[in-house]
Amino acid sequence: MEKNILQFLLNDKLIEIDFLKEDFLPSTTVLNYLRMQPGFMGTKEGCAEGDCGACTVVLAEVQNGELTYKTIDSCLLFLASIHGKQLITVEHLAEINDQKIKLHPVQQAMVEHHGSQCGYCTPGFVMSMFGMYKNAAETDNEELTDAMAGNLCRCTGYKPIAEAAQACCKNPKPDKFSLQQVEIVKRLTQIRKHQSTLEISAPKQIYLLPSRLDEALGFREKYPVAVTINGATDTAIRQNKTHEFLPNILDLSAVEDIKHQKEGSAFFSLGAGTTLEQFKQFVKANFPGLMPMLKVFASLQIRNVATIGGNLSTASPIGDLIPLFFALKAEVKLSSRTDNRMIPVEEYITGYRKTSLRHDEILEAVQIPKPEKGLVFFTEKVSTRRDLDISTVSSTLRLRLNTDNFVEEIAIIYGGMAAQVKRAVAAEKYLLGKQWCFEEAERASKLICEDFTPISDARSNAEYRVAAAKNLLLKLYLKSVDNNEGLSL
Amino acid sequence: MNRAANNITHESAVSHVTGKAVYVADMHVGEQMLTGKVVFSPYAHARIVSVDFTEALKVNGVVDILDFNRIPGINQLNPLVHDEPCLAVDKVNCIGQAILLIAAENEHAAIEAEKKIKISYDPLEPVLTIMQARENGTALAKTRKIETGNPEEGLLKADHILEGELKIGGQEHWYLETQSALSVPGENMEMMVYASSQNPSETQHVVSEVLGLQANQVVCEVKRMGGGFGGKETQANHVAAWSALLANASGRPVKIVLFRDDDQKFTGKRHPFEASYKLGFSKEGMIVSYILDLHADAGMATDLSMAILERALFHADSSYFIPNMRVTGTMWKTNLPSNTAFRGFGGPQGMVVIEHALDRVARFLGKDAAEIRYRNFYGLNDRNITHFGQLVENNRLFRLWDELIISSEYYKRRAEIRSFNQKHSFKKRGIALTPVKFGISFTTAFLNQAGALVNIYKDGTVLVNHGGTEMGQGLHTKIKQIAALEFGLPLEKINLSPTNTSKVPNTSPTAASSGTDLNGMAVKNAIDKVKIRLDSLAKHLLTDANTASGEVVYNDGLVFLSSNPDKTITFKELVINAHLSQISLSATGFYGTPGLHYDKEKGRGNPFHYFAFGMAVSDVEVDTLTGMSKILRADILHDAGQSINEDIDLGQVAGAFIQGVGWCTTETLRYNASGQLLNHSPDTYKIPGIGDVPNDFRVELLKNAPNSQTIRQSKAVGEPPFMLAFSVWLAIKDAVSAVANHSVEPDFALPANNETVLLSIEKLRISLKV
Repeated sequence: MEKNILQFLLNDKLIEIDFLKEDFLPSTTVLNYLRMQPGFMGTKEGCAEGDCGACTVVLAEVQNGELTYKTIDSCLLFLASIHGKQLITVEHLAEINDQKIKLHPVQQAMVEHHGSQCGYCTPGFVMSMFGMYKNAAETDNEELTDAMAGNLCRCTGYKPIAEAAQACCKNPKPDKFSLQQVEIVKRLTQIRKHQSTLEISAPKQIYLLPSRLDEALGFREKYPVAVTINGATDTAIRQNKTHEFLPNILDLSAVEDIKHQKEGSAFFSLGAGTTLEQFKQFVKANFPGLMPMLKVFASLQIRNVATIGGNLSTASPIGDLIPLFFALKAEVKLSSRTDNRMIPVEEYITGYRKTSLRHDEILEAVQIPKPEKGLVFFTEKVSTRRDLDISTVSSTLRLRLNTDNFVEEIAIIYGGMAAQVKRAVAAEKYLLGKQWCFEEAERASKLICEDFTPISDARSNAEYRVAAAKNLLLKLYLKSVDNNEGLSL
Repeated sequence: MNRAANNITHESAVSHVTGKAVYVADMHVGEQMLTGKVVFSPYAHARIVSVDFTEALKVNGVVDILDFNRIPGINQLNPLVHDEPCLAVDKVNCIGQAILLIAAENEHAAIEAEKKIKISYDPLEPVLTIMQARENGTALAKTRKIETGNPEEGLLKADHILEGELKIGGQEHWYLETQSALSVPGENMEMMVYASSQNPSETQHVVSEVLGLQANQVVCEVKRMGGGFGGKETQANHVAAWSALLANASGRPVKIVLFRDDDQKFTGKRHPFEASYKLGFSKEGMIVSYILDLHADAGMATDLSMAILERALFHADSSYFIPNMRVTGTMWKTNLPSNTAFRGFGGPQGMVVIEHALDRVARFLGKDAAEIRYRNFYGLNDRNITHFGQLVENNRLFRLWDELIISSEYYKRRAEIRSFNQKHSFKKRGIALTPVKFGISFTTAFLNQAGALVNIYKDGTVLVNHGGTEMGQGLHTKIKQIAALEFGLPLEKINLSPTNTSKVPNTSPTAASSGTDLNGMAVKNAIDKVKIRLDSLAKHLLTDANTASGEVVYNDGLVFLSSNPDKTITFKELVINAHLSQISLSATGFYGTPGLHYDKEKGRGNPFHYFAFGMAVSDVEVDTLTGMSKILRADILHDAGQSINEDIDLGQVAGAFIQGVGWCTTETLRYNASGQLLNHSPDTYKIPGIGDVPNDFRVELLKNAPNSQTIRQSKAVGEPPFMLAFSVWLAIKDAVSAVANHSVEPDFALPANNETVLLSIEKLRISLKV
């Protein structure tokens, strides 16, 4: 029965939830849960889709005996997924003694720099800054800004907020959380030790939170209709916005053995639970040509929970990671209780939001071949806004030239141009064996129309997509010859 | 006031950062509070054939469902022009028109109920664009006109004439806090409405009308808004009326908080405009004559559209003296949600056309656009009468220019950009300087009034009530400063009450940038009244046989006579004495802006108390392969008069500028053929993020620039800096134009999103090849 009980720390208070006795679901978002609790109105709903960050909270969890602090959009976070973690909300930052408020340094900086006007986005910004404060050792100026790309403000023009962040996150001093760390680690470890896997059978919803792969595979077999999530930043939006009811959920976010990033002799193996933030660091180290995509991918709040397995399995027609995996010739490892198989990502995605995953399988890992000598990768994305905006069109290039500068191998992959991520076959065919020069790239770009007839939608008209898609090929060419013609910022 | 004294932080800043600041969505009224949900029309234009909610009423947790038959009062949301039904009767005129109201124990029950409601429609042909409206002749009112000189003759005298058209997009407010209201029923039909409204008096009025009550039975209170920007000037009344109807019917408190997507889909926006113009000018680039015809999309109802059109007409001159001019404007009815107030209130749409046209003049003459603008600025001593006949007094354009042209390094940057563009084929940079002159006052003259109620309590503390609402702009902070200064008290002795219609009645909306101008004066008036009473007591207490009587001074919590500063009593002692002497410690205040008048028929008058000025220089880089752009540097110098709070004013300037940048660049409203807004969430509707802020962003206020006849010689600052964003829009155009080495006039529109920019560049490339 204990597998039914969710335990976590809400700030410094242990919360135990027995879903058999509650009228809310395990998949209730942390935001909605908080707003049901007296005294927790500081976390705001601005959009319920992870685009505004007004609901930002910080999750602390134990890693190697220490706490890691991650900012997360609480509107996209299922309550049951925070088992064994500390949920830190805006109410907990300041200390109140004898009716006197001692603000946390990030709060103090926001006040002093006039970082709030209407105040509605402020708790979210404060929590993003708190997250930075706790991770400040590795944070440079650009990353400071990047860490707040997931928070929208309509009043200030961000200037005072950026100044506040720079002022308080540069030289963070130990705060009350530093003092409590040992105690919190102890308490969280105890929860996990006591119960690390949840199998909640609430009256209206079954929520499975395995902590090991074999348990996960067992659940997968036992509950083949369960919606599998790994980060849930896509699934939670469906629940929030179309009120889709999810009777069975298999949440892989706690499965430790799919979180690895390993380097073998011929392959990199990335567990499906690799977060986008971890993947960003991986790309930075190994495929810098693909960084333009990761630099502007979602927001830190989303990258902290969204996973590569989750992103692949949405099989989105844009799916900003999918083109990269196409270019890298990545394969997915699909495992069931009885067997496992490797298939190329190109075959894994079978259509508009469709994959070849069987009902007894779990996407366990992504395997990326180490690049042969001479192989280069580039990617370019256009979006209405640079940050936190899904591509209107993206183009990714895999290229190998021979010593005479002729194309020996090429793949050109487009996102946002069809019902699924797709290769520009005609352009590839044309360029193979040709000299790699601007004129040939330009000729090839005219062939994009042979493979794609994009649609007009909420992001763009088809006419723009075609024009941009053609030009993106030129841009990739310019990048490949190290021409500094990209936006320099 | 020196800077140290006046840059106090927002009075709610600590509440904001600790999550303690309360918004309507955060309010709880015990267990009995119900959730309200509105059933909106999915059709832009349709007859309602039948409505059946019998099954929905059976859903567990549903308390009541109301249709128009259950409205006890008048079925109208607009108190003046009755063209906005509170609940649709037999026809819907836009997507998002309310048809039914659901009250339920919780949101889940309300959602389940909505699924079971059956409404059948007979769809009608909708009018969805200005062009369709013009073809169908659905003008909202007759065309407005302002004319000066002889425009036709002027064109004949001009050396050159440029003709053109410009499409100007709308804009979603995207206040962080969506429309929300909580209504709590009281005894004898009374209703208390906690609203997120810029206009509590009108909210009170509309609620009393739909409920069939007297105004004295309804109270509206506004603690704060999570952003307004004009979007809560009239349209906050809608949720308030809906929640009040449900509260009235159920006898229980009812809260409605619009879901983000619903708010975006169903509430009004900045008006899209279409402009056509003819501009005649001399070979030196001096404007000789300007004829402008504006057409705007009002949406399905009147709302504030005619006042918005009027402001567009008043601002068609921007900062330029135009001897011969005619501007006409028509508002068109369409089957879209009624468009409404949004920071600038039509001013931006009026101004942007002449800024665009002058940019063309510069390109046509091969001159620097900034210099063309400079030449045409209103004069200091002559060439200073607007097209509606108002004298442009205290013109600060030249001061701003002189300072900004140097501090922004305009000429150096322009030269650098020129050489950058010569070296780069696929990225281009551009720069622009644009001015702002913005008329301050409601153009409906009587609205320029405000009230206040100041209470002093026996412990020597002060509670200030006034008619203005706090939406983040820092109004309460400035009022607090004003009260503290007038009473000579430290700030902590002053507290601001939520805006409440039972304390200060019949107030105007907090809009038109006028909040501090009007309410600050009203508060001062109230304080002056109390002080007259206190003065005579103070004189009595402080004067003895040896002292000559002098003026009573309030300073640092003390009260003394100017003739004898050594003999003091504390403010608190004075207050206690006053109470014991049966002297009232409370006073109301009032202010009405003097000297405003405007004759709509003649298009002549002095509609504005004064003008606010500003100027900006921005440069951008455009990726000519994708159309994406980035602001590299922006320099702003803005005239806020003698600022009451410099940091708050700087925050208004930077915030308005970036909001303007959003309107000018990424914020595009996309509709499908049946009138549905496609980008109805922040996933696809993109307001600026922190990464869109210029890397080098320099915002300054003009120093030593006291205003006359305003509270503490300050100037309104809410709206004017919004239009500084034209510098970004025209810098992008400059960069686009560089693709053809400024030899061809590029196609352009507002917003200059990736699509506009890239398609314009592609056209230039084709024209170069031909």
